[in-house]
Amino acid sequence: MSFHFIKDQDFPAFLSGLIKARTVVGPVAKTSRQQEKFVFARLTDPAALRLDYDVTILPPKKEFFPPKQNLLLFDGPRVTPGIEPEEKVLFGVHPYDMKALDMTDALFREKNEDRNYTAHREAATVVVSSVQKVSPRAFWASIGTEVKPKGHDAWLTKVAGGCVYEAVTAKGEALLQHGKFAAASEEQKKAARRADEEAARQCPEKLQGTSASNAKKVRAAFSREELWTKFAQDCFSCGSCNTVCPTCYCFDVQDWWHVDQNTGGRTRTWDSCLTEDFAKISLGAGAQENFREERAERFRHRFMRKAAYLNEKLGGPACVGCGRCSAACTADIADPTAVINSIPEA
Amino acid sequence: MAKPKVAFFDFTCCEGCQIEFTNYGDPVFLELLKHVDVVEFREAMSEKCREPLDIAFIEGSFSREADRPRLEEIRRRAKVVIAYGQCAATAGINALKNHTSDYRKFVYGKDAALPHLDSQIAVGVDQAIKVDYYAYGCPVNKYEVLQIVSHLLHGKDPVIPNYPVCVECKRRETICRFDVGDYCLGQTARAGCGAPCPADGIPCEACRGFVDKPNHEALVKVLDKRAGMPKGWARHKTRMFTANQRGDVK
Repeated sequence: MSFHFIKDQDFPAFLSGLIKARTVVGPVAKTSRQQEKFVFARLTDPAALRLDYDVTILPPKKEFFPPKQNLLLFDGPRVTPGIEPEEKVLFGVHPYDMKALDMTDALFREKNEDRNYTAHREAATVVVSSVQKVSPRAFWASIGTEVKPKGHDAWLTKVAGGCVYEAVTAKGEALLQHGKFAAASEEQKKAARRADEEAARQCPEKLQGTSASNAKKVRAAFSREELWTKFAQDCFSCGSCNTVCPTCYCFDVQDWWHVDQNTGGRTRTWDSCLTEDFAKISLGAGAQENFREERAERFRHRFMRKAAYLNEKLGGPACVGCGRCSAACTADIADPTAVINSIPEA
Repeated sequence: MAKPKVAFFDFTCCEGCQIEFTNYGDPVFLELLKHVDVVEFREAMSEKCREPLDIAFIEGSFSREADRPRLEEIRRRAKVVIAYGQCAATAGINALKNHTSDYRKFVYGKDAALPHLDSQIAVGVDQAIKVDYYAYGCPVNKYEVLQIVSHLLHGKDPVIPNYPVCVECKRRETICRFDVGDYCLGQTARAGCGAPCPADGIPCEACRGFVDKPNHEALVKVLDKRAGMPKGWARHKTRMFTANQRGDVK
């Protein structure tokens, strides 16, 4: 681990060098009717990088687990796997999203390792960027605080006059050659820590309780049907909360054919447990069963997964407090702080 | 193996969905003809067919009792019947007239009383005959139709989404219409189109109809509270394409 400093005026040249050497993906602006939002996209122009973003529409997991991914392509009986790792730099990931990547890393690695994810993940260098602007629905400072980001290769923090760059791994160290870096002073390191603490203080929403107490009370509320029916009254089952979630990892697999009926592919697409058909299964002989048929059951399932079911496996809740679900829900009923805070202690 | 025989039929509709079938472009269309034998398709050929069919695409809604025998005859001949387009699936935009009583006067003027212009409540063709699969949309999504045909050729059930358009907007990172002060019906609208309209800055009008279980009450609330639509308008807003899927269906 080593700390470095790059001056503001040297930063564009560093990025240009990086872009010349590698595929670089980072947060860029996207606008509609003058409303500015952000997305992770491939950088061609260093000026397009927006490290002052608040949150992106989709989390960076899409770089390794895209919304649609060909698992294989076929040409009659000949099959080509869809795994095509590219050495890319994922630049400017917020710490909460890094925690989420750590979770998808663990979930895709457990038991049968999913190379469709891990091969792409291993080929990437991930540079975390401290939060410069906090999003209106963020609560990352108050959830799963016992879990720290760990899978990143470097951590960049804006301070007065430049950025502190902490190289955590050899991969993170390797990026230093593209820019004019000096050793970071103690004062600059301290300023970087202060910047992180200040951002944490600005989180507008707050989850009460601890990970353990929340897991306990959410689990205990499982059978309280009236509670979940009320929470889910305005739920569209639209899947927006799942689809923008950085820790959701369910997918559906379907085959398709080109018009020649001989070539085609097997594609996985993000799935969403809030949607009606998610839990529809075959009973054979044309019969079907939906084991989460009611809207309230599906709404409850999401909270069980985020606050309780995965905690032992992940060391904390499967929610990192990015607030994307809260913002994406047009009925504004998905906010984990609002829901979990309102569940009485067990 | 002989190529499956495919035919197109139309009832109350604009035949735009059939036109969509001719919009693949020559290379795709000619390739498709290697796999299916189109035996009746009045948008593109003059031959008619009286033989048994493998796939019947029926466009248009069922709005005249006089059409029932023809629908039943198609059903008897076809192994698979596909309701082709929103009119055939749910009567789509045709069902708008179900809530009016003076449409004949306004549409046909002095000819309003002519007997052949009489029609009943417009409904999907599944109200007259059994339908096996639905190709939703106004018009249909021609790429989805190609997948429906491919699945049938390979002996598989076609996969038709029953989730809302929001899913497809999020997957492609479209900025939500509600975030820019607009309205949208995507939360209750059936996906499968790929959500091109919001991506172009236009609200979803639910042209593929509703999902199987739409939360219409919540939509009215969101249109009123978040999009600032007057209450009455919010309540009726979805009717353009979903008159037969709402609580006030005739």
